[in-house]
Amino acid sequence: MTDLTLEGVSKVYGETTALRGIDLAVEDGEFFTLVGPSGCGKTTTLRTIAGFEEPTAGSVRFDDREMTGVPPEDRDVGVVFQNYALFPHMTVAENVGYGLRFRDPPAGTTREERILELLELVDLAGMGERRPSQLSGGQRQRVSLARALAPEPGLLLLDEPMSALDARLRETLRRQVKRIQSELEITTIYVTHDQEEALAISDRVAVVRAGTVEQVGTPKEIYRRPATRFVAEFIGDNNVFEGEVRTRSSDELRVRVSGREFDIVPADSLAEAGTGLESGDRLAFCVRPEALTPTVETNRLSVTVETSEFLGETVRVHGRWNGTPIVLRLAEPPDADELTVGFAPDGAHVVELESDARGND
Amino acid sequence: MTTGRPDGGSARDRGRVRVHVRVRDWLERHALGLIALLTAVVLGVMLYLPVGVVFAEAVFVDGRLSLAHFREVLTDPFYVGVLSQVFTDPLAIGSHLAALGGWILAGFPSFPLGLFGFTAYQAALSTVASLALGLPAAYVLANYEFRGRRTIRSLTILPFVLPGIMVAVGFYAMFGQAGTLNAILGVVGLGPYPFIERNPLAIVIVAHAFYNAPLVARITVAAWESVDVRALETARSLGASPRRAFVDVVVPQLLPAVTTGALLTFIFTFMTFPIVLALGGLQLATVEVWVYARIQRLAFAEAATLAILETIVSLALTYAYLRYESAQAGMSRAAAPPPRERLFPDLRTALEPWRLAIVGYGVLTLVVFVGPMVSMVIGGFTDGGGFTLRHYEFLIRRQTEGASYQTLPWPAIRNSLLFGVATLFVAMPMGVVISVVTTRSGREGGHHSGRWATIIDTLAMVPLAVSGIVFGIGLLRGLVFGIPLIGGWRLQITGVVAIVAAHAVAAYPFVTRNVSPLLADLDPALVESARSLGASRYRALLDVELPLVASGIVAGAAFTFAISIGEFSSTVILASGGETYTMPVAVERYLGRRNGPAIAMGTVLLAITGLSFVVVDRVGGRFERD
Repeated sequence: MTDLTLEGVSKVYGETTALRGIDLAVEDGEFFTLVGPSGCGKTTTLRTIAGFEEPTAGSVRFDDREMTGVPPEDRDVGVVFQNYALFPHMTVAENVGYGLRFRDPPAGTTREERILELLELVDLAGMGERRPSQLSGGQRQRVSLARALAPEPGLLLLDEPMSALDARLRETLRRQVKRIQSELEITTIYVTHDQEEALAISDRVAVVRAGTVEQVGTPKEIYRRPATRFVAEFIGDNNVFEGEVRTRSSDELRVRVSGREFDIVPADSLAEAGTGLESGDRLAFCVRPEALTPTVETNRLSVTVETSEFLGETVRVHGRWNGTPIVLRLAEPPDADELTVGFAPDGAHVVELESDARGND
Repeated sequence: MTTGRPDGGSARDRGRVRVHVRVRDWLERHALGLIALLTAVVLGVMLYLPVGVVFAEAVFVDGRLSLAHFREVLTDPFYVGVLSQVFTDPLAIGSHLAALGGWILAGFPSFPLGLFGFTAYQAALSTVASLALGLPAAYVLANYEFRGRRTIRSLTILPFVLPGIMVAVGFYAMFGQAGTLNAILGVVGLGPYPFIERNPLAIVIVAHAFYNAPLVARITVAAWESVDVRALETARSLGASPRRAFVDVVVPQLLPAVTTGALLTFIFTFMTFPIVLALGGLQLATVEVWVYARIQRLAFAEAATLAILETIVSLALTYAYLRYESAQAGMSRAAAPPPRERLFPDLRTALEPWRLAIVGYGVLTLVVFVGPMVSMVIGGFTDGGGFTLRHYEFLIRRQTEGASYQTLPWPAIRNSLLFGVATLFVAMPMGVVISVVTTRSGREGGHHSGRWATIIDTLAMVPLAVSGIVFGIGLLRGLVFGIPLIGGWRLQITGVVAIVAAHAVAAYPFVTRNVSPLLADLDPALVESARSLGASRYRALLDVELPLVASGIVAGAAFTFAISIGEFSSTVILASGGETYTMPVAVERYLGRRNGPAIAMGTVLLAITGLSFVVVDRVGGRFERD
């Protein structure tokens, strides 16, 4: 199996820059996800790893082997595409067996045995003689996965593999992919724009934005401690407040937002960066909807309800407080136009400091 | 096909196997590049070199660079008509404007057109005639359902590949003094009328419409069928009347197709040759016919100059066409094409004036399209009075008793078939590799390679813009006579190799034109999947792309074969004197003295050309670009 390193990878097409210095280190056997909005460069990154694109600058290494200039057929990667890309003129078995024309099956198995083994792995035993056109979308994607895995690649690359499937199927297939991945312990790079999918399936996640990596971390870190305001807003629902530091004690900040003062305890990741904070400095902090509830008695604010969406187990309420958009999750639809909610000081997470903002200018 | 290696054998055997495997691997990795290189060499030697030779012939006078030939042509009223005054003294703008004003004030009197002017004039008339004949066909084919609609739609490709010389024979058989039309008119006591002798220009224009109206029709039908019916329905729901919806939604989508058809028709009829030569003779000479006449009098420099001027015009038009085509390329295929009405749902509606007009149009197309072909076939079996096998007997007798210096039928048929098959083997890889290179570099990476793809595309389409005669002179003066190289060597290519290469160069653009759109429609992820699974670029092409664009390849093969079989202009030059004449050359040689056998030979040619398309239709090739 393989570990993967990207160092300062950038890609320029004529006038447009798709990647501006991507650094990644993926460990052997890891399930690693690239997530970001469309056009952020996550697919270009994957295609650079696969060898379909050559980076304009930077280096791609598999186990310390430099891969720049190596054609895709010599990289020993398996790729699964969003639209399956099954060969329509071949049967399912021929599709799965195609890579075995160029690489020998694992020692001790014949090509035919390997095909049957893979079809069984993706729960498609007995479907070998069918044509791709006779399969459902979910089945096609499983054939595509089996085809990518058949030659035992060192690296499995999945480019938005679930996007063409309906929601329920997506969840089933997601679990199946995860099960197979951990069974085979194959290093996997997964590209998706669906942040929920990214959190559900990955060992680690990289949030990509405008050709750069904003943050790399476990799903928990990404969700609980977003490094930037972009990550905070892109991953899950979030409420972002912009304000000014009034006073600070050893571990607590008092922040003034729209004429109202809040007490927050900055997360430890920020404690160091925040040591230079003085009163008068501007910052932004975020509070997850699940931390902003009517039952908490600290940091209260009164929200004007605008819309509410009934989601079954919860109700998502969109509203406004002094012009700041607010999103809440409640157990029951609100019965009034005004709701008073509060959050605990440690429920807030600082995502942006004035010094950061200055640094970006 | 596992890559398993032999277990037994001595070390030396294994070593040899390893070398063998390595050589095979290397070849496979570089196969695509090697084929592309070979294609470039064939194009360089067989296309750009001859055209360059013609160009050199025109611009060198006594070994020195000079524009004297051009000046001579451009200031000669015989060639450029009234424009000769402008070219003689280009700076006397005042007097030219005065002359223009005087002409307008005098009420647009007729003026001398010159050879180029006349060529453009007849091309313009032919374009109008082709549109007039082709657009109603497009309307009927796109909007009505009737028995045989699909067959007629696929048959619209046929005239395009019919050899000009054969069509000329067909027109003689239909419109000549003893032709079918006069025979029919004779039944009702009219005629006979000397149609061709009295108005050769009209017959030439009808013959051009025979070629190009189907082209206009097929391009327009494709556009019409790609109109999304939901756009029409949206226009109706927003308050547009059916007529208004047609004008606002359908017409703008048809216009590009009609323009494309008109441009192509103008290009083709500007370069017309066999039709005018056979039906009009020298009194109706176009540039191309005049070039041919000059060559026969060995006035090569003058011929080359005219040929270059003609090529500049047609290249400009072709460039305009390619630019236009690529600008239209973004138009998507409709998800829901408009429904088609039954043409004759019942007897009462069949008698409506509109449907009667359609029937009348149908009769006209029968006269123009079916008439000449059927007349030719019938002409092969009749002899003034009645049925006869005399003409075919003549062909057989000529074969068995003819002297070796005479043009024998069987060698002509055999050569045509052999060259056709050989051309397939050369033109198919050329056409496919150019498709791959242009669609691939168009798709991969950014603006630069996109521009490269356009340049390669344009260079590769040059055969469409270079007339057969230009190509023919170039081949004759360059490759047949030979070009001296350093060290006393001569580059000389003649006979079978030259003919097959010339046919391949003429035919491969049709392979590219058939394969490229299908290739561009394929999901790039298919090739990428194959490559990440270990296939080289060449293997991915063989295993994945080619099977999926098989219908385009088969259609390209049919074109290639038909074009090779029907090719006349360069074959007649390369086959002169030798035993490598083909069917069209034989038809032309018979035509002067014995029309019957020429018609019989033309029928055989028609049968073989038609057969190659029928075979393709059966194996599922498609000639559609939509």
